[in-house]
Amino acid sequence: MKKDKNLDELFRDKLLNYEQEPPAYILENVLASVAGARRKRKIVFWRIAGVAAALFLAFIAGWQINTWNSQEVNPGIIIGRQTAPEISADVKPEITPAEKENPSGYMKSKIVNKPGMVNLQLAELAKENQINPISEKSTKSIAGNSKSEHFTSVDESLMVAKNEESTVLKPMKSLFILINQGTQKVANSLQEQKTKAHKDDWANKTIDQQIMEQNRQVIMAGNQTKGKGRWLVGAQVSPEYNVSRSSHSQVYASNMLNASANPVDLGGGISVEYKKGKRWSLQSGVYYSGMGQSSGNTNTSSGKDYLFASADRGSGYFNTNVSIDANTSKMSMNSTAGVIEFKGIPSGIVLGANLEEKALASNAAILLDARFIQNFEYIEIPLYLRYTILDSRFDVEMLGGFSSNVLVGNQTYMESSTGKSLVGSTKDMEPLNYSGTLGVGLKYGLSKRIFLNVEPRVKYFLNSLNSNSSVTYKPYTIGVFTGLSYEF
Amino acid sequence: MEDFKPIISDCIGGSPKAQSMLYHQFAPKMFGVCLRYAKDATEAEDNMQDGFIKVFTNLKTFRHDGSLEGWIRRIMINVSLEKIRKQHLLYPVEDVSVYDSVNFSDDVLAKIAADDLMKLIQQLPPRYRMVFNLYVIEGLSHQEIAKEMLITQGTSKSNLARARDILKKKVQENFSELIGQNNYTA
Repeated sequence: MKKDKNLDELFRDKLLNYEQEPPAYILENVLASVAGARRKRKIVFWRIAGVAAALFLAFIAGWQINTWNSQEVNPGIIIGRQTAPEISADVKPEITPAEKENPSGYMKSKIVNKPGMVNLQLAELAKENQINPISEKSTKSIAGNSKSEHFTSVDESLMVAKNEESTVLKPMKSLFILINQGTQKVANSLQEQKTKAHKDDWANKTIDQQIMEQNRQVIMAGNQTKGKGRWLVGAQVSPEYNVSRSSHSQVYASNMLNASANPVDLGGGISVEYKKGKRWSLQSGVYYSGMGQSSGNTNTSSGKDYLFASADRGSGYFNTNVSIDANTSKMSMNSTAGVIEFKGIPSGIVLGANLEEKALASNAAILLDARFIQNFEYIEIPLYLRYTILDSRFDVEMLGGFSSNVLVGNQTYMESSTGKSLVGSTKDMEPLNYSGTLGVGLKYGLSKRIFLNVEPRVKYFLNSLNSNSSVTYKPYTIGVFTGLSYEF
Repeated sequence: MEDFKPIISDCIGGSPKAQSMLYHQFAPKMFGVCLRYAKDATEAEDNMQDGFIKVFTNLKTFRHDGSLEGWIRRIMINVSLEKIRKQHLLYPVEDVSVYDSVNFSDDVLAKIAADDLMKLIQQLPPRYRMVFNLYVIEGLSHQEIAKEMLITQGTSKSNLARARDILKKKVQENFSELIGQNNYTA
């Protein structure tokens, strides 16, 4: 034991502070490597900044296109297409002497300014002139007038849009060119510096070191060739929170359900990713996306008619008007996403008809304490570009791109104290829609080939989901996609 | 203790001059450390290079509450351990024949030069070399070594005993002349 201690002490004494001068090339290699790492960090920073800027510009460009599209909707045409409610025989609006003298001029101005009153005024005019107030001929001629006005205004709006495009897009384009030129210059100068440094290093190296360096480069080149074009397949699910974003014509909005809550839906699907190089990849796949909104009563009207109609029901009533088609007896009601078309008159509701309030311009009011839930289901085919910001045990990626969304489900449910039942669907929903997506992906390697993905994404629709010209419905969807992917 | 704060600050700022100064300050001692943990000078040079790259890239994480030399030394040891772990050299236990216990007088051992002792350590199997270095030179306990190397304390003790036996045997083989002289003079 003592001998062991002596041996230990001997080694410790002689080797604890043992010093030997290392070869000079180590310092050179260390300094070159540290400087290279710093340069790489700088390049990575600029790359990330460039990608972020490009994605941001794409997002803004999408937004702009989106906004211009929505600007093209002319209020005149919105008015012209309004479904006119049936006119009650008891309704007798007052007509001023001036109106009697020049009925056509008065009507035209009213059509443009107060579209909700079109059929009402038309009925009065017809009465005066002894003609059928709802004849097709009259409606067509009015539609023709408003249409011609509309075309003129559309042409003008297109001109304005073109001018806007030139004034807004031109600076963006020149900004792109400047960024590209700047990036190219930086890249060129870095390349020159690198080549020069490489040449100097090479001259200072011994033959052995040069051979070793060549071998290393050959191996690296081999590895790069092996790493070309990898595929990833995966499956992901996400809770999706929908944020309603809509605008409506004034007439439509005056009798519309109020979207009061956005339920959280479930989305998910299968993704296929093609990884080109170390950073960039292209992703597609097939996703299911559930989307919906819950609508309730508006709290605006306290008209005497509703108070009267709901006298025996307390405050639990809807003041949202409904219209009933005379031929099909189908009931419809305006919502933020579009017109809800009922399959029939749902059980348990009470309709108040022919109310005294003239301003309502409606023939019925629904009296019920209930909520309407509109569900839309989409199959989404995305095309995303992904960029790996941080390539580590936790990969951090940015993703952006566009998707085609095919409508596969459209249901409206009514939820009341008696339960939830399917009552109809939303009219005029577009069968094919386009959306833009921006997100951040976190990827954790569970093994060499299997990865856990967590991706918060924001999706916005580029076009209105409803083709009704009175409705512009472009909701946002926020989701956190979680799933697994397999690399091969 | 020398104040390295300004030079560290310059190194973090990317000054090659400051980095060279810091390197020259510690390089000979750290090369000594790397030599002890490596099987030869080439491996030690590699470890030293990787170690100093780590030192400079992680210098901003150095808290000035301990010695800089100790911090750099720890990095060198970790790099050496990591290298051996990666090469899977720690896990297979070499079949080392049982050495007869050899005893020498202190005088004999004292006459052996440090360079020669270094060569003896480098000839040890990797795991024995690690345990011997960590226990004898760095002063770690078997518990700490076990934690560091992911082995049991018993294995650590056994490896240390084997390392000592091998070293004694090597001394006998390589320095028989010294032993003979010693016996003669005794």
